[in-house]
Amino acid sequence: MSSDTAARASLGVSLAFHIVFAAVSIGLPLMFCIAEGIGLRRRDATWYILARRWSRASGILFVVGAVSGTALSFEFGLLWPRFMGFASGIVGLMFTFEGVAFFIEAIFLGLYLYGWDRLSPRTHWLCSIPVVISAALASQFIVAVNSWMNTPTGFQLVNGKAVNIDPFAAMFNPAAPAQALHMLIAAYQVTGFTVAAVYAVGLLRKRKNPYHIRGVQLGMILATVMVPLQAIVGSWIGEMIARQQPEKLAGLESLFHTTTGAPLTLFGWPDASTQQIYFGIAIPKLLSLLSFNNPNATVTGLDAYAQNTWPSLPITHLAFDTMATLGGLFLLVPILFWGLYYWKKRTVPTARWFLWVLVISGPLTFVALEAGWVAAELGRQPWVIYNIMRTSDGSTTNPGVGFFFFIFLAIYLALGVASAGLLLRLARERKTFVPEKSSLETSQPVSGEPVGVES
Amino acid sequence: MSQLTLATLAALLGWIALIAYAVLGGADFGGGIWDLFARGRTAARERSAIAGAMGPVWESNNIWLIFVLVITWTAFPIVYASVSTALFIPITFALIGIVLRGASFSFRSHYGMRVGAGVAWGHVFSTASIITPFLLGTVAGALAGGMIHVSGSPAQVQANLWTTWTTPFALACGAFAVALCAVLAATYLTVDSHNNGDLLLAERFRQRAIIAGAVTAAVGVLAAVLSSFQAPVLWHGLIGKALPFSLGAILLGLATAVALLRNAYAAARILVAAGTVFIFAAWGVAQWPYFIVPDVTVDNAASPSSVLGPLLIVALLGLILVLPVLWYLFSIFKGPGTRTGPATGPHATTASFVASLQPASTSDQPSTSAMSAAPVQPSSVSGGAVRQQVIPVLAFSLAVAAATFITALYDAVRNRAGSRSRHSRTEAPSP
Repeated sequence: MSSDTAARASLGVSLAFHIVFAAVSIGLPLMFCIAEGIGLRRRDATWYILARRWSRASGILFVVGAVSGTALSFEFGLLWPRFMGFASGIVGLMFTFEGVAFFIEAIFLGLYLYGWDRLSPRTHWLCSIPVVISAALASQFIVAVNSWMNTPTGFQLVNGKAVNIDPFAAMFNPAAPAQALHMLIAAYQVTGFTVAAVYAVGLLRKRKNPYHIRGVQLGMILATVMVPLQAIVGSWIGEMIARQQPEKLAGLESLFHTTTGAPLTLFGWPDASTQQIYFGIAIPKLLSLLSFNNPNATVTGLDAYAQNTWPSLPITHLAFDTMATLGGLFLLVPILFWGLYYWKKRTVPTARWFLWVLVISGPLTFVALEAGWVAAELGRQPWVIYNIMRTSDGSTTNPGVGFFFFIFLAIYLALGVASAGLLLRLARERKTFVPEKSSLETSQPVSGEPVGVES
Repeated sequence: MSQLTLATLAALLGWIALIAYAVLGGADFGGGIWDLFARGRTAARERSAIAGAMGPVWESNNIWLIFVLVITWTAFPIVYASVSTALFIPITFALIGIVLRGASFSFRSHYGMRVGAGVAWGHVFSTASIITPFLLGTVAGALAGGMIHVSGSPAQVQANLWTTWTTPFALACGAFAVALCAVLAATYLTVDSHNNGDLLLAERFRQRAIIAGAVTAAVGVLAAVLSSFQAPVLWHGLIGKALPFSLGAILLGLATAVALLRNAYAAARILVAAGTVFIFAAWGVAQWPYFIVPDVTVDNAASPSSVLGPLLIVALLGLILVLPVLWYLFSIFKGPGTRTGPATGPHATTASFVASLQPASTSDQPSTSAMSAAPVQPSSVSGGAVRQQVIPVLAFSLAVAAATFITALYDAVRNRAGSRSRHSRTEAPSP
């Protein structure tokens, strides 16, 4: 494996791993904040038990997200020193903002996770709010870095060096608002669907207690809010790419020839050598409509660019279509949910077929998340900074990156398996309210009788 | 302010973050070291004392390291790029250590310390806690060792991948870092155990702190002697311009030993932390203005003022925001604590409050007894309840929608203004 390929593979694995944990660590705090708020207001232990368990789950996920994030900040230098040498002054401010937000998140999460037997109920609940806000903010700043790589601004290029750097202009690059919100909403969407899926499994096992019902309900409420928002932001991001990165759009949609009234081709197999797309489902004029709000607009095709700057075609297009199709299907789930909810006289639907829909949607949101990320990253290739620096010019020249790749692949597999095992263990536990401390010291609850719901 | 002043301030800020990482995060590594040495009848108690001390704070301590990295790569991109290139091997392994240390600590506490998987992750935790500070110490030694050469633009790095960080001096630095972590942790744990009323543990950690302190002093002397051969710039700094700090570090180390011997725990905690601050201050002043001896200095590595200014403002404002909250975190978990409280009143804890609640609300949960083990009838959540749940979500989604709208507006205004500086690029990228 060449250093370049190995560096890409290593960072790809790290990010693919990190994005799962980061997304859920952004979404779960919102869930436990709402659940504990309701529990506090209505003096209802069931909501507290939900909040408690989500906080324990997010404790595991946050740690893995945080250490893989720390790993990333080292890997930027270890694997991409030439990219960082060029860009880190420009994008550093975003990382500084992100660092501050992440710091605040970690402090309040520490207070929240370990404060159950130290803080008063109101203070404890209040500690969850900064976690929600700073987690969301941190994601915005970090995605702004990625969007800067798509639409680099805030500097001038003179003899291969960046001069006249304006880090704020870099932060507010054209792609940043749409891309960052897209990621944030995706994180909430993934969390909502996943939580609903987990509790739908509980309901399928005939545990129809308020605990599972409310888990499904709150998960679906979050999904209901986020899915339409995502549709709006998704179309916004499409228009943004059409304006800022026409080449990337052509790659994502596999539009080989510049076309007036361009059709949208769903799936199919784009072949770069023949410049044809086989077996696709073409919907006339839709691409022009979505990109420029005009069914007869001209969309630039790949033929306007040199072939050695084309993105890696089949996978970019297929990943993008997977994300977009799943995103469309996710719109149906909340509609079904609320339709059934009102039809069944305002009870959370527990029909088995619908629960299965929820159970399947959960993992599919992760598929959509990863597919969207793959499309975004591979769609930018062969550039690491769009039209400025080629990926192969940013990577390390050190040998031994292949070794690095396999070591980190092994570590991430181990961490993934271990955290999945822990989460399963957590899901199988009796639904009790036990302070965190007890899991460290003994198997006996420390304070009082456990309150809870038998599963 | 001149660019050099800004660069100096950025370096100072990064150094303060590094010191914070050493004083706070170093103790977390030290906790892992004492976890490995936990033996005998009190081993389980020692381990849970270590886990209890680290649990709430180690993640925020770890973020000081991210701060160091971010400040380095923003303010001194060449330093970050060159160090990661030249010291690829120790940094990679230190990174593996950091990842495994954090994850295994969390996994172990969730599995439970005596369960099979928990024990296995415990070994990973303690091993990684020794390897990581050792490697970070060798990296520090390599930076002072003068065997990493950086020249040209864009910077080219010439360094042997293995020999720069395996000199006797660099290895001594690694050992010193491990010993320092151990003495920090043992001293803090003495205070924590004392606060929690476990006098036996306090005594054991006190003895270990004294032993580790003696080892730290010995390794420190060895490293200093070696530096006079292998890192002359550092050595001349330590006995020259940094002499007040070097002497201060030695005196504070002795004072810590005295405080520990006389059972003055609280004083020992402050003294050992101050001693660590002085060690890093001495190192920083002695090596000034070099980041990487002999080629990279604060002057020739700094980003332009337009980067340094905003970085300093954001980082300082961030610290103003972070420090009070951090203080609150430590005051909650590092002071004498209450485990159980009354169900109501000003001293109620969340746990005791929940224990006082009915298992499930009764008003809107007809025919559902949450305590019963038998399968219950399908329950419903009434419209009123739904409304209460929907309101916060709705408020939030409105906020998100507003943010979307505002940013879209901003985006549109920006595009109309045509102030996209990407058009002002003066050179086409080379293929």
